[in-house]
Amino acid sequence: MKDFLLVFRSDYKSIAKASAEEMQSYMNQWQGWIDSITAQDKLAGGNHLEAGGKVVNHKAVITDGPYTEIKESILGYLIIKANSYAEALVIAKACPILAGQGNTVEVRAIQKM
Amino acid sequence: MKDFLLVFRNDYSKQPKASPEEMQAIMKKWMDWVGGIAAQNKLTTAGAPLAAGGKVVRGNNVITDGPYTEIKELIGGYTIVKADSLDEAAELAKNCPILGTGGNVEVREINAM
Repeated sequence: MKDFLLVFRSDYKSIAKASAEEMQSYMNQWQGWIDSITAQDKLAGGNHLEAGGKVVNHKAVITDGPYTEIKESILGYLIIKANSYAEALVIAKACPILAGQGNTVEVRAIQKM
Repeated sequence: MKDFLLVFRNDYSKQPKASPEEMQAIMKKWMDWVGGIAAQNKLTTAGAPLAAGGKVVRGNNVITDGPYTEIKELIGGYTIVKADSLDEAAELAKNCPILGTGGNVEVREINAM
């Protein structure tokens, strides 16, 4: 089994428009998806990120944004265990974020040091 | 103290091929930087570099090869640090070795769920 990083990208501005009921339903979908990964014993970690952030550029200058201001900002990530990309993709395809237009899940193999 | 995700990005297409000695020197810089954060008791997770390549899953089961490239900088790895504020976390990122090769560090607060 290898570890794979799943990076969730979305437009934060579109999320802000959801009603409380829509938000609850959406959170339930996420919980259901994550529970199903846990049930397969394939969950290795993950976090949800706050909106906003900073970037330190190559000149060590710190600026607000800018990755959180583009449409595809990172919303959060999950680390899962899978034997192959194919297996990791089966899990990624069921991610609730994909119901939103333009949203993506990036799937990357984590390198063993 | 809160947890902050540091995301390392670089334009890998522009990186010269490193010799084994250069690679060793780069690794040492990273180990020293991460070690310096750990010495301040501010390292939550050392994180990991990501293997080149990857997949992106979009809605309607569309899967494309390669990492996420809407922007030219690719995610090369991540680390989680502890800090009292976003500003303090960004200060920790100022000595990250990726800045020396033209890359940058996105700093994001982790939402304790």
